[in-house]
Amino acid sequence: MAGPLLAIESISAGYLGRDVLRELSLEIDEGALVAIIGPNGHGKTTLLRAISGLLPLHGGRIALAGADIHRRRPDEIVAAGVVHVPQGDLLFPDMTVLENLQMGAYLPAAATKMGERLDEVFALLPKLAERRGQIASTLSGGERRMVGVGRGLMTGGRLLMLDEPSLGLAPIVIDQIYDVIVRLKASGRTILLVEESVARVVDKADRIHLLDNGRFVWQGAGSELMSRPEILATYLGG
Amino acid sequence: MSRSWRRDLAVGVVLLAIAVAVPLLFKTRYIVTQATLFFIWAIVVTQWNLVLGVGGIFSLAQMALFACGAYTAAMLGYYLAVPLWLGIPLGGGVTVLLSLLIGLACLRLRGPYVALLTLAIAQVIFIYIINDTDCFTNPPSGCMPLFGGVRGVTRFGELGFRELFGTRFYVANYYLTLLLLVLAVLFSIVIVRGPMGLAFQALRDNPGYAVSRGISRFKYQLWLFGLSAFFTGLAGAVYAANFRAIGPDVFSLTLLLFLLSMIVVGGLGTIWGPLLGAALLMLADEGMKELSDYRNIGLGAILAAFVILLPRGLVGALAGLRRGRLRRPGP
Amino acid sequence: MREVIVQIVASGLTIGAMYAVSTIGLSLVYGSLGMLNMAHGAILTFGGYIAYYIGTTLGLPPLLGGLAAVAVGALLGLAVYIVAAQPLLRSRSFETSIFIATIGVGTVLENVMLKLFGAYPLPQPLAVGGDLEIGGVHIPYQNILILAVSLLLMAAVALLLKRTRIGRAVRATAQNREAAQLMGVRVGTVYALVLALSGALAAISGIMISSLTTLSPTMGADPMLKAFIICVVAGLGNIYGAVVSALLLGLLEAIAQYVVGVRFGFATLLVLVIVVLIWRPYGLFGHRQVVRL
Repeated sequence: MAGPLLAIESISAGYLGRDVLRELSLEIDEGALVAIIGPNGHGKTTLLRAISGLLPLHGGRIALAGADIHRRRPDEIVAAGVVHVPQGDLLFPDMTVLENLQMGAYLPAAATKMGERLDEVFALLPKLAERRGQIASTLSGGERRMVGVGRGLMTGGRLLMLDEPSLGLAPIVIDQIYDVIVRLKASGRTILLVEESVARVVDKADRIHLLDNGRFVWQGAGSELMSRPEILATYLGG
Repeated sequence: MSRSWRRDLAVGVVLLAIAVAVPLLFKTRYIVTQATLFFIWAIVVTQWNLVLGVGGIFSLAQMALFACGAYTAAMLGYYLAVPLWLGIPLGGGVTVLLSLLIGLACLRLRGPYVALLTLAIAQVIFIYIINDTDCFTNPPSGCMPLFGGVRGVTRFGELGFRELFGTRFYVANYYLTLLLLVLAVLFSIVIVRGPMGLAFQALRDNPGYAVSRGISRFKYQLWLFGLSAFFTGLAGAVYAANFRAIGPDVFSLTLLLFLLSMIVVGGLGTIWGPLLGAALLMLADEGMKELSDYRNIGLGAILAAFVILLPRGLVGALAGLRRGRLRRPGP
Repeated sequence: MREVIVQIVASGLTIGAMYAVSTIGLSLVYGSLGMLNMAHGAILTFGGYIAYYIGTTLGLPPLLGGLAAVAVGALLGLAVYIVAAQPLLRSRSFETSIFIATIGVGTVLENVMLKLFGAYPLPQPLAVGGDLEIGGVHIPYQNILILAVSLLLMAAVALLLKRTRIGRAVRATAQNREAAQLMGVRVGTVYALVLALSGALAAISGIMISSLTTLSPTMGADPMLKAFIICVVAGLGNIYGAVVSALLLGLLEAIAQYVVGVRFGFATLLVLVIVVLIWRPYGLFGHRQVVRL
């Protein structure tokens, strides 16, 4: 396929008249794992919400495989192939684990593959199989995260976006989650990862972008970042 | 800040001059008495506008408060022979007490719940009044329930204008009501442009920040609710004094709708909006007297259309246009 | 004494079941959209009048009238979505604005009916006569029919919400709108569907209510207020709670009518609601805007 899978050109977006993202550009190639790091409140979540259509743009364009998606509704963008696993999970609290996963495969294209995808998700995340009948609001933090990721996998799609998958979890659980992410990458998935923890992504991402005050101030491979301690110190507090 | 004050003052002076001149120019009684009624509704809607638009309290008890003022003055006059000059301010006072009771009950609730609760309270009072058939007293004119029942309360005294002014007594009513309206509008201006207005604006736009600065929504809302109830009760008492009667028909939902439409058409949260809305709707009502069948249909349609298409009302839309021209083109 | 109790229970359950049907729609609408549909009462009444028009005025089979009423109710619900809800969804004060807008729409509908059919109460043709005798107690067949239809409808709605794809989408939208969008749910469609369903249910309950009393243009205000009361007491958005509360309310109303007489029954109810709301600001069972099943 010629050209990047996701092309973001000079986008601006924000809340209440204030722009959080300022003329941001980004390209993601198919099969790559791209990580966005940076201090909190500087636009990482806003970027993902702008891509998935939850937040309208004030300028610029976003294209998936060459086709514009930035003026479409969120549900159309999902149908086009962008899957957003949001920060804080946003599970359906009064539905069971199974029902949450079933909702992941709501789109007709995904619904036809419901059975096989459920098997795949349960194979990747066996804890979910155990707790499939449990109501989502009664799950632990780690279990909720797994349901969120599993739900995103049920949708399929061409681009998987994960917003801070390690947030608020114990290291052991984070290991499990990242295990899944690594396996997904190995199977050829295109992944856009937003993370606060640099250490987790440094050796896994093909490319890392540093987002500060709504702009990318640095990008490169993980190994390059580790050899630039001054960047780590300035933006990420060491 | 002073620019808006000056503009408000200018508008107010012009309107006041026109209002003062009306009875001198128009000699027909009907026009003057209708204008007096307009003043009364204008007082009610400016106060209701403060509660709804500034305070963000979705109260539907406005007419219950109006009735409270009216019934208090009327019953004090009827049962205790209290002169109306005393009864009217007392009516205002009692209404404040009632509003504080209602406020304490309601103000912990959110939006639509407040609406339901205040509506329920108003309806309970209404149902009680019309269903109370026990005769509290038994004058020669017939059984008189405590609150007058369906027929209402009459013969509770007069303002004395007939003795003083003879056949043109209604002009005195006109000026008295106008005076009250001026006070009510001044109060409205002080609230909207003053610190309370700013506090409510902060609560609306940025509740977290406002609370962190010590602005207690509950306390401010209660104050506003109580203060605006005073004028509403006064308006009710003056209404009763004007017509020398008060009955449960003021609880009518159609009337509530009519008044709500005035606010919506004129502009919720603005100072002059309710007045404009009141004037327009009363004129429209006059003009549509022939088509009384379609009155309510028209009213409902106007209400829905304005809320959907012109939510800021006429005054709000005008203000928006003005601000739009001044604003620099943004990203 | 036993006969009186059976009579009260039968009457109360019937009334409660009728209220439950109209309340489910209202509760769904609030749970998904966060709006109190003040046009509900007018749509309810309209359903009754359509059945009358088809059954009596046109002389067609009453059952056809019933089906037509359902269709018209659904269309009216859809109209409320298109005309009022959709344009207002993006505004900041959505809850207040839609409340007022639907009051306007309801007023228009009510007065249109007044103009078309007059204020004089009319009999509902979709009714059966006669009663069943059980151990000395007479229970009207109409009550049994209403109870049966109501239970059927409630079961159907429960099935729709729990087992179908679109039902899951409705519940998902009510529990977390953004997440539902991220699953590919077109929330506009969900809203339209919920309002249409609510309209259809309102129309049916309008037929049922008017079959026990009479048909008049303002008959919808009372049931609508009661539906709101039930929703509020149960916690807005709580479906099972609403059904249970509706049945309780029906029984309460039957008892109150027997004890206090019809006049003060409603006022007592309102006072009860006022007390409940002051004590529990989010309703007896609810504490979240969520459609629970």
